Amino acid sequence: MHKIRLRINGKEYEEEVEARLLLVHFLRDKLHLTGTHVGCDTGNCGACTVSSNGKTVKSCNMLAVQADGGDLITIEGVATGALDPVQEAFLDKFAVQCGYCTPGMIMSALALLKDTPRPTEAEIREAIEGNICMCTGYQQIVDAISHAAARLSQVRE
Amino acid sequence: MLKFDEIFVTRDWFGKPVRRAADKRFVTGEGSYVDDLPFDCAHAGFVRSPHAHARLGRIDTSKAEAMTGVLAVMTGPEVAALTNPVGARAITRPARQHVMATGKVRYVGEPVAIVVAENRYILEDALELVEVEYDPLPVVVEIDDAMRSDAPLVFEEAGSNILLHDTLSHGNIDEAFREADVVVKEQFRIQRFSSTPLENWAIIAKYEKGTDSYVVWANDQQPGRTIVNVCNVLGIAASKLRLIVPDSGGGFGIKLAIWPYIISQCLVARKVDKPVKWIQTRHEHLLGGTHTPDCIVDLELAIKKDGKILGLRMRDRQNDGSFVHTAGIYNLIKFANLVGCYDIRSTHNEMMSIVTNKAPTVQNRGVGKPAMMFTLERLAHRAARHLGMDPAEFRFRNFIQPEQMPYTTPWGEIYESGNYPECLRKALAQINYDEIKGEQESLRKAGTYIGIGLSASVEPGTSNLGYYYTSRGTPEYMGNAEGAIVSMDYDGNINVLLGSVEEGQGHATAVSQVVADMLAITPDRVTMASQMDSMMSPFLGHSGCYANRFNDVDMGAVIMATKKVRDKVLKIAAHKLDSPVTELQLGNGAVCSTKQKDRRITFKEIATLAYKQVLLLPPDMEPGLKEVAYYKNSFAKLPGKEDFNVQMTHGNSVHAVVVEVDTKSGMVHFRKYVIVHDCGRQINPGIVDGMAIGSTVHGIGTALLEEFVYDENGQILTTSFADYLKPLAIDLPRFELSHLESPCPTTLLGTKAVGEGGAIGSLAAIANAVEDALTPFGVKVTSLPMTPEKVLRAIRETKVI
Amino acid sequence: MIPPKFEYIAPTSLADVASFLASHPGESKLLAGGQSLIPILKLRLASPGYLVDLGRIGGLSYIREEPAAEGRPAGIAIGAMTTYAEIRKSALLREKCALLTQTAATVADVQVRNRGTLGGSLAHADPSADMPAAVLALGAELKAVGSNGERWIKIADYFKGMFTTALAENEILTEIRVPILSGQRTAYIKAARRPTDFAIAGVAVRLRLGTSDMCEDIAIGVTGVGDRAYRPADVERALKGKRLDPNLIEAAAAEAVRGVEPLSNVHGSAEYRAQIARVYVARAIAAVC
Repeated sequence: MHKIRLRINGKEYEEEVEARLLLVHFLRDKLHLTGTHVGCDTGNCGACTVSSNGKTVKSCNMLAVQADGGDLITIEGVATGALDPVQEAFLDKFAVQCGYCTPGMIMSALALLKDTPRPTEAEIREAIEGNICMCTGYQQIVDAISHAAARLSQVRE
Repeated sequence: MLKFDEIFVTRDWFGKPVRRAADKRFVTGEGSYVDDLPFDCAHAGFVRSPHAHARLGRIDTSKAEAMTGVLAVMTGPEVAALTNPVGARAITRPARQHVMATGKVRYVGEPVAIVVAENRYILEDALELVEVEYDPLPVVVEIDDAMRSDAPLVFEEAGSNILLHDTLSHGNIDEAFREADVVVKEQFRIQRFSSTPLENWAIIAKYEKGTDSYVVWANDQQPGRTIVNVCNVLGIAASKLRLIVPDSGGGFGIKLAIWPYIISQCLVARKVDKPVKWIQTRHEHLLGGTHTPDCIVDLELAIKKDGKILGLRMRDRQNDGSFVHTAGIYNLIKFANLVGCYDIRSTHNEMMSIVTNKAPTVQNRGVGKPAMMFTLERLAHRAARHLGMDPAEFRFRNFIQPEQMPYTTPWGEIYESGNYPECLRKALAQINYDEIKGEQESLRKAGTYIGIGLSASVEPGTSNLGYYYTSRGTPEYMGNAEGAIVSMDYDGNINVLLGSVEEGQGHATAVSQVVADMLAITPDRVTMASQMDSMMSPFLGHSGCYANRFNDVDMGAVIMATKKVRDKVLKIAAHKLDSPVTELQLGNGAVCSTKQKDRRITFKEIATLAYKQVLLLPPDMEPGLKEVAYYKNSFAKLPGKEDFNVQMTHGNSVHAVVVEVDTKSGMVHFRKYVIVHDCGRQINPGIVDGMAIGSTVHGIGTALLEEFVYDENGQILTTSFADYLKPLAIDLPRFELSHLESPCPTTLLGTKAVGEGGAIGSLAAIANAVEDALTPFGVKVTSLPMTPEKVLRAIRETKVI
Repeated sequence: MIPPKFEYIAPTSLADVASFLASHPGESKLLAGGQSLIPILKLRLASPGYLVDLGRIGGLSYIREEPAAEGRPAGIAIGAMTTYAEIRKSALLREKCALLTQTAATVADVQVRNRGTLGGSLAHADPSADMPAAVLALGAELKAVGSNGERWIKIADYFKGMFTTALAENEILTEIRVPILSGQRTAYIKAARRPTDFAIAGVAVRLRLGTSDMCEDIAIGVTGVGDRAYRPADVERALKGKRLDPNLIEAAAAEAVRGVEPLSNVHGSAEYRAQIARVYVARAIAAVC
């Protein structure tokens, strides 16, 4: 067993974990942060995407022990109270159907907009190339991200 | 039947793209999928056969049972001994099958033992310790092999691998072919694929000793039928099973086949003091978690030289794998949709359901309609070319015309409304058809190959169950119906409980819009339970989310129950305001007199009377404001061979696609994608667009990327998303979507099915575009998927994809 | 879906890693970004007794210009734990060795690029990975550290076979040295079922073009086709010192798989790979002309 200490959504955690425990299972099963989802076995679908030290990663392809000392944000930590503009945009633009890919998509969208506040459609599609959606065909997700970008830049101006 | 104008008081919400506020939980990660439920569960998993066909020998579970943390183990034979066999629906030969393997295994992945451990990690270690003896048998994988007289039998008692074989002729097919100027024919092959919802199957089963009953949570798409199937197979009364369906991460039909696993979960839950949870892995899902059957379709059209189709002959052979419950279903649905959008009066269909050592099949998105429209629309394109006719012109020549609606096909399927020519006209305009054809010419000279492909397809919905005329006796289900409970609560807000379930289709929002306009309130005052609990739910045997029935029977039940609530609200208001009902009007969550506007009572006040001050209600009126309604589509007739009305609504769409084929690599890229879609009236255009686009992307996956590849030993080579390829955001076109609305006369709202159309219409449109692009190379498209390798080989050598 | 049990250590120095590997021969796997290893463990295709995490060793993640020294020319040194994302963003590499940024941009997806490392890719040597093609075309040198000290391996001697390299069992790849390119054009293009997939054929090319389209120097790295990334020597020989034109390029590219036995899997047969290799070698060269 290994002791790990990390910050998740601004809160400090200290837990004992088996070496082979996947980060996604640590989040879901140990901490009951079930917003991060499992959709495949091979790191292809992106439903497990979280932010680790400011970068999006697939939490199914990380061991919890690798996150020791780290700073994670999961979907639960995106907003407290009022929704983040990206979350609002997903609802405004019908980017949510079954909701299973949504947390991962939102994490990827937030990462994109942090680096690229005014992304082109091609940049948006590349930013979510590691997130599979089975329901929407992506178009309304792309529109939502674009819409969120526009709203955020209005707010800034 | 309630008229459309009688339904609504206001028209503020119906038909508008109202935001899916009810789905806020999904953007905050607060969805409640089965694996999220906060129960302390043990974890179950399955030992699965590595052989496609083998006698099942000794199963030694002792090492697994001895492992610390393992709580229970059961073998397939043990489960079989405690259960009834699985029922078949459409096949006509005997075939005995249990929910887990017993005696022999019939596909790679068939569950042979179930292990329960304290957590997922120990579980997977324990699964490796179960030792199973297999005595391999000869394997039969493909249709042609399975049909040989000396083929190994998947079900010995059937005496054959062809479990359904029927031929239906309508009109005068011989005359049609005699009178034809031209006959075009082709053999088409469509692969095995699946819509693979992002959330896999998930079940929690709990055994309650005190009542000898079970509570099950599962992301099941058909709770009505599942409860029946599970209880039948377990041999228990319906009252002994409570099924709860929470949030579900996509279904597309794949989650119609979860119920066999609920059975084994229930049995093993008896042995453990905790609820037992099984979360299917993606590997299991792709391996044996149900597929669309692959098929070989031979299609022939008898045509006059002016392009008119006189007759259609089809020979439809499908590879139903090894699950008898769904075998034959696809054949029947293809038959129901044989003529697509065309006025063809003579038809001849030979259908065969063939079992092999491939994985089980299920009614995946479209259920045979993608294959049917693919073959018909491919052949239509080919016929046009053969006649030197423009493919659009060929379709105009053969469409069922709007004035022919309602149109009855030769075997009795009734198309209630639709304007196919207008859809095609609109699509041609949107895609700049003539301009693109000109561009194609000049690009060809420069060595760039673009192609234009069209398809016109029907998108039926609301399955009229009981169409399995092929099996003996009275069908277990007939028609289609749903139940709803609508109530006004203490605050005068509305709660809806629907017998059905959903997997992301936005039912709660759609319901809130309709109810809001029926009661002159705002949608935020209407909530619908996001979870179906059979203990409280007004479900029926048909209840579930499949065959696009929501717009018809689900909404029908909601509307009728809401109307009952509205009638009662008005009666109470009339009593309180001392006014006849005819002098009352609803507005802003209140009822007021038309004669005196200040004579007014709010919903909250009415609810107070109904729930609390019951002595002030009109005499002889029951207290409460909670009404149940059950609604069936009243146009459904008992289906039979000669009156095969299988689907109760018929939307349609035209897909017009421009592709570019990289003739050096075989890769296909989209340049333009136009969809003209008619689903009758739309409750929420934002939701409809999402369904149409999402469904089309499923079709793109089927057309270009996805395939379950089997080797000659029945081993499946594509069991992860690294090998079974799904479309990603990065490689897709922007879809240009527009709508027609041909109201449906058989549904209360005039709506039609939404959700399958894209998967149905896209296949032929893309294939037609690819073939069109490769005209200079003389390449024909006769199969899917159109992988780059197949395309390149066709260009360079074989001339056939 | 769940890795088998293993012991996990996260040493803080290379020396500790080296001595551990020496004292536990054949029992360990090194963990870098984990984007290849963790999926392998989840599928239980490997069952190492020990997982040695390189993530806690400081100083293995860098991109810097190195002056000429010890008989080695000036170049750019990249720490083995540098991620694809860091490579892609590096202004230094974009300016002085763009082939690496061009190639890193095509690897998998955003999330994988945030964790996956150059060293990990080269140590794992997946025959369909992208970076091997680039480092081959660059004539890179790799630094390996073991309990016996450190050594430099020329990239031409490095890829030995499928998932097999010249690294000894107890050696750790610590640095990749690439040349500073000046007056050379580079490109990496790949054929894949989807842009995020492994290459069916991935071609990296480095070209020095003189006046009148004279090919002064050319290096090509091909991945995805054979059991390891390789330089198609016959193609290079056919072009060096010649005036490049489309016909010559196509004729040369026809030799793209000479001496190579192409792989075959669900994404492409050997025959298809061979043909795609020819097409994409020609296209990669055309892209830099």
